[in-house]
Amino acid sequence: MTTLAPGSMNDLLPDDILLAILAMAQKESGESYFRFEGHDFDLQRVFRELTQEFALLRNYFVFSSGGPMPYSPSLTESVSRLQLSGMVGRENPEYEFLFLKPAANEYMKRLEPKLGADATNELKKVAKAFLKRVVS
Amino acid sequence: MTTASPRKDLERRVESFVSWLFADFSPRVTRGPKVINDALLGNQYFARHEVAVIDSPLLQRLKQIKQTGLVFQVFPSARHSRFEHSLGAATLAERCLTAIGDRASLEGEPSSVPPTRDRGDLAELRMAALLHDVGHGLCSHLSEQIYEAFTDIRAFEKDPDFVDKSPGEILSYLIVHTRTFRDWFQGIQDDCSSKLNIDTVASMILGRHPDPQKLFLAQIVSSPYDADKLDYIARDSLNCGLALTVDLPRFYSMIATTTYNEYKVLVLRNYVPLEQILFSKMTLYGSVYHHHKVKCLDQMLRAMVMHIAGNPATCAFNTRGQALAFQHAVDFLYVTDDEFFSGQAFGDKVVKGFHDRFRRRDLLARCVEISRRTVVNWSSPERKSLIDLSAKPAQAVELERAIYEQLPAAQRSTAHPSEVLLSVPKPPKLKGGFAFIQTDQHAAPEPIEQYFPLEQWTDSYSHSKWKSFVYAPGSLRQQVRDAAIDVIRERLGLEVDKDKSNQACHVS
Repeated sequence: MTTLAPGSMNDLLPDDILLAILAMAQKESGESYFRFEGHDFDLQRVFRELTQEFALLRNYFVFSSGGPMPYSPSLTESVSRLQLSGMVGRENPEYEFLFLKPAANEYMKRLEPKLGADATNELKKVAKAFLKRVVS
Repeated sequence: MTTASPRKDLERRVESFVSWLFADFSPRVTRGPKVINDALLGNQYFARHEVAVIDSPLLQRLKQIKQTGLVFQVFPSARHSRFEHSLGAATLAERCLTAIGDRASLEGEPSSVPPTRDRGDLAELRMAALLHDVGHGLCSHLSEQIYEAFTDIRAFEKDPDFVDKSPGEILSYLIVHTRTFRDWFQGIQDDCSSKLNIDTVASMILGRHPDPQKLFLAQIVSSPYDADKLDYIARDSLNCGLALTVDLPRFYSMIATTTYNEYKVLVLRNYVPLEQILFSKMTLYGSVYHHHKVKCLDQMLRAMVMHIAGNPATCAFNTRGQALAFQHAVDFLYVTDDEFFSGQAFGDKVVKGFHDRFRRRDLLARCVEISRRTVVNWSSPERKSLIDLSAKPAQAVELERAIYEQLPAAQRSTAHPSEVLLSVPKPPKLKGGFAFIQTDQHAAPEPIEQYFPLEQWTDSYSHSKWKSFVYAPGSLRQQVRDAAIDVIRERLGLEVDKDKSNQACHVS
């Protein structure tokens, strides 16, 4: 029988990885209010570059082979789910800036033990690289 | 003993399905092209080889698969099928291509596509649109939402060639790629003197084209403003009685192509037509696809199907000689809506119970609403645990079971666990790929988000319209409500305000 794919409450989703990167980037930036240009096409470009540099991300964000622009549906869906989860929002009135809500950092405290030391260290490097690539 | 990979297994099963479908079919080739009249699009013209494909069991079975699944139980006139939608997509695909040619001519550029329905680009475009939904099975997207979590279809989710495609599109591609279909189609081509590259047709179903300069053709079949959406938005809204407008003449007048990173891509000269498409899509989500009764029906079908899948020895059923128990993604292709809901006599008590409920439109009742207006600590990080369930179906089932187990023993004995259901919809997918605006032929193409706040709409929908529900038999509403509120607090950390939930669900 083809079964439902296995999983548990503790399985990490791509949006967990995205949230961890954003929370670590905020910490790295030292900003109490962390925002960055976050149109879908901006993030797709940035994460395409990051996946080429950091192997860990390739487990979560696979980019389509078709077309002239990088596109990973799991990245778009992750942003949507983080919005729906109340972790990130978009600034009025332009909506081009994404910002982290207080719930994101609270959630991050629970996420850290699930990530493990190796992944945490790797994601800190990703977060630094992310900060260099986005306009905040 | 070695076993084949899940992907190879799936390809083999798709081949078996197509062989089964064509087993007793004698191809008929008509003497000439046909005109088929459609309530939405009027006269539609089909070439001889297209009529042969339309007459084939691959397309004919789509007449028995409703475009919007069980929505007709809520919007009674929504009984349109994947069949007329597929014909419509082919017609609209040609209209898009014609419009591109007209725009090119208007702007002083020659159109590179000869308008011939039986060979070359237009023929392949129309055939890809005609075949784009042959991978749909029982209740269209409903079954897709169930089998997308099966391991065989998930073998494709990390493949760059398939990652951006839905399970139904992947199955359509695999069907067109089968040896059985290709051999049959070649026979039709020989009889009709048509000349199409079936590999190109299959690629276009996935939104790909072997020639980067012809990517725009594939985008007409699969992209944020493809012929599929143009048809289903107009058709779904018409049949649900929603007065939504997609101004197709204006859309056609604005569609063009340009070269971007060595690909020839679709662009719009103005964002208004796309804004209409997306606004209509958003309205359809809020009013139809995520309607609380529609979500209840979705969950009832999911529970029924998963009960069959979990008990194949007692629940397997037979469709035209094929024993089925929803063990694999392809199983959902063998059975159509009409066969499943009308032609089956189920012996298993639970399955029969659901079957009777569908027949009598006896829906489960809303017991709890979990949303911004009913959850006290909606801004807390706990909300993510709920939203995560939309991506973790096995864990959502665990939560349902926990709610059932929380019921007092007396009530528990009156219901089956599969009658306590949780709906956690995914956020609406408004765009799904890249879309460009190019205000004139000399301007640089820009992403659509530069022109209007597409992502804000998702944010706004999530903020004000998204809801999760717990459903159960009407006789157990209060008990399931209390059990669900307890379990949601204990397991997810969300505090549901009982009075507000009662008000939302009309529970006394």
